[in-house]
Amino acid sequence: MAARSRVATLRDQYAELLRSAFLVDLQYRASIAIWLVWGITEPIISFAIWWSIAAGGAVDGYTRDGFARYFFGVALVNQATLSWDAWNIDRWIREGEMNHRLTRPIAPIHEAIADNIAYKGPTAAIILAVWVVASIFWPAVRIPFEPGRWALGIVAIGLAAAIRFFNGYATGLLAFWTTRATALVELQFGISLFLSGRIAPLSLLPPRVVHVAQYLWFPYVLSFPVEILTGAVTTWQQYARGYAGQLVWLAIWLLLYLLVWTRGRRHYGAVGG
Amino acid sequence: MKRIRRTMVVLLAFWKLNWLEELQYRGNFVASLLSTVFWLAMAMLTVALYFGHTTQLGGWGYWDVVVLLGVFNALTGVVETVLRPGIGHLPTDVRSGALDLVLVRPVDAQFYVSFRRLDVWRLADVVLGLGLSAYALAQTGRSVGVWQIVSFIVTFAVAIAVVYSIWVTLMSFAFWFVAVENMATLFDAVIDAARYPVSAYPGALRFVFVYLIPIAWTTTIPASALTGRLDPSLAMWAVVVGVAALGASRLLWRVALKRYTSAGG
Amino acid sequence: MPNAIVATNLTKTYDVKVRDPGIKGALAALVRPRYRQVRAVDSVSFAIERGDAVAFLGPNGAGKTTTLKMLTGLLFPSAGRAEVAEHDPWTGGNPFRRRIAFVLGNKQQLLWDLPAEESFRLNRAIYGVSLADYTTRRAELVELLVLGELIDKPVRQLSLGERMKCELAAALLHQPEVLFLDEPTLGLDLDAQQTIRTFLGEYRRRHGATILLTSHYMADVTALASRVLIINRGRLLHDGELSELVTRIAPIKRIELVLSEPVPRARLEEYGTVAHYAPPRATLEVPRETATAASTRLLTDLAVADLSIQDPPIEEVIRIAFGETEQDAGAEAEAPRADVRRAPP
Repeated sequence: MAARSRVATLRDQYAELLRSAFLVDLQYRASIAIWLVWGITEPIISFAIWWSIAAGGAVDGYTRDGFARYFFGVALVNQATLSWDAWNIDRWIREGEMNHRLTRPIAPIHEAIADNIAYKGPTAAIILAVWVVASIFWPAVRIPFEPGRWALGIVAIGLAAAIRFFNGYATGLLAFWTTRATALVELQFGISLFLSGRIAPLSLLPPRVVHVAQYLWFPYVLSFPVEILTGAVTTWQQYARGYAGQLVWLAIWLLLYLLVWTRGRRHYGAVGG
Repeated sequence: MKRIRRTMVVLLAFWKLNWLEELQYRGNFVASLLSTVFWLAMAMLTVALYFGHTTQLGGWGYWDVVVLLGVFNALTGVVETVLRPGIGHLPTDVRSGALDLVLVRPVDAQFYVSFRRLDVWRLADVVLGLGLSAYALAQTGRSVGVWQIVSFIVTFAVAIAVVYSIWVTLMSFAFWFVAVENMATLFDAVIDAARYPVSAYPGALRFVFVYLIPIAWTTTIPASALTGRLDPSLAMWAVVVGVAALGASRLLWRVALKRYTSAGG
Repeated sequence: MPNAIVATNLTKTYDVKVRDPGIKGALAALVRPRYRQVRAVDSVSFAIERGDAVAFLGPNGAGKTTTLKMLTGLLFPSAGRAEVAEHDPWTGGNPFRRRIAFVLGNKQQLLWDLPAEESFRLNRAIYGVSLADYTTRRAELVELLVLGELIDKPVRQLSLGERMKCELAAALLHQPEVLFLDEPTLGLDLDAQQTIRTFLGEYRRRHGATILLTSHYMADVTALASRVLIINRGRLLHDGELSELVTRIAPIKRIELVLSEPVPRARLEEYGTVAHYAPPRATLEVPRETATAASTRLLTDLAVADLSIQDPPIEEVIRIAFGETEQDAGAEAEAPRADVRRAPP
């Protein structure tokens, strides 16, 4: 097949994969609304606690308003980057639903990518809409009007989503070997409470923890995009370091995915489902 | 009452089978224990992080909050042992039609559905939680008297009643919204707020947690009892809330079930 | 005619962990795991010409599904080779996958919550079928399978038989040359079974597709395949004409009885071989040609509450054919499927 037509085929495949993923999501809109509520309770609770701690004044530079903006950012970026693919893969392999996916002339990951886009796009847009409406009534959560910064933030969110996706997908593929692959995802989820800045802005963590965090992917998948949006990232050095970290970790998780996929596929070919 | 007794007999038989089955999966015990210890550690680190920037949360000191965290873990242990595997399975049963098989039995449907299955390994969460509370209580240096123990037992029972009522309420909605298969996720979302004393929340949320989604009664009150800050009149109110929650949820269950059976499934 | 499927000494062995019972055994297995080799498929060779329909028979766990998985590229052989549609299934990649279809009767491939039409659209894109081809093929499949407005209803609202018909249509939109069907009629009602049989026959005639199918139902086999492969415990036991098989073993029928009064086993022996005796139920095996007469006599002589005459299930046929005991035949069963073993009358 010629290169031109391969691109056209992939585009056609994505159009239909996205369409069907979106239509399925539409069927499950009530369930998705519940997941959405679940997703925003954690930042709401963290925000409420910091709000009461900040009653006496700013906490390391974060005022009540500052926390409000930060956790709105966390809710948005987290929704746009969350990956639950490990649970899907685990179920597919356990219940034999992987087989027909492997006999189709398209790698299963494309279906997952389309699912992610179809799910995260609309749900993140809902949170964004809530943020916009909230900032009309609540000046505290308004972020500076800087379209350039927003564009940079969107790029960072896209990269963060890609890192988390390949991270979750590659970890999930360990299900080819073990029944407890999802436990590894949960482990990372727990660590990311702190190292990604889910529970508090990274600057409130002990310096040693932050030092360790910057060598891992965690800060780049949440904290960095959020802090672009809230205005905490200012210098070009901070931008450069953030994007560089994102690109490096994207490359690493992409490679890990390719490695785990080829080896896992071979293992599956040897032992079956 | 006779119906309840008959239900008990059926349940006892189920639990026995259930226990034999669970014995086969001892690996799950280790896995769930590790997971509980991990998440407890994460929760304590979170509390430690908060206390790196404050000396109190809503009037509670560090170890007081850890006492509450232990109560929270014990309570979620009860949920994981009994409620999630039992009544939490209801939406699936409604969709698959398995509920109809329950309804034709001469047992109390709510009672049966609620307690049909025990994930006994998760009882370890209860033990771990209460252990953590006892340890933290020792760290506060407070002496624990008979009143503390008695009021804790009573208010913890109330907490279980409230949590159970929340489950019954959510699951009753499953009769209306058959397509919604993750109703239990709503519980997971709200119960997370019970990790901290309700006084740590801003006024509006506090109002919600006391009167609308009554999770204030689940962890704050028993932990108050242990840390000796519980007003006896509040203990009385807790009992009233517990009984009222049970009654209200039972009522809702009946309306929902009636709607289900008269609609012919 | 060139061959569509060639298997040469196809072999699949699995290493199965051996573990002594108890905690001690579990620990020992952790420290020094011991393995036992299980030969799921043992040096199987056959060739299927393009356009042929062949049935693959054998008890549960005989190695049928493992063979199909090797032929479709899901598993790679431990030894031997396979060639399907001029490709090595394991290395053939997408060009190979576009030329085959694999339908598993007990697995869902359609999008459960959407109308089948959506799955059709998706498969068109995935297999890169041109719009013109898609339109013609879709129309043909809708007509042959009598799909009508079924394709506009969410799949979850369809009956098992309706779903299977849509499943087949979705799998054939890219017009595969080789069609692998694992239990395509499993659990379907007789009407649906019949439709699917007729359809598969007609489809093969029109498009020259090669079909390799497994089934528990003798009727699937007689309607679709002229040739059968019988496999048991991973070994190919028979490769030949179906008629050969029937004359060899199937000259019997099974009479299933429900007795309203107790009848001693010895009394039943007067009418035929007693295959099962579990009062009030009993199963007799009688020569094919005397089955009707025997049942008439049973009905007049004895207090019979219910009676049915059936073909012996394939397991039974194979058991008789190769003189094995029933326990042997089911020993390595993958999954107990006792309830689907009954054959249609």
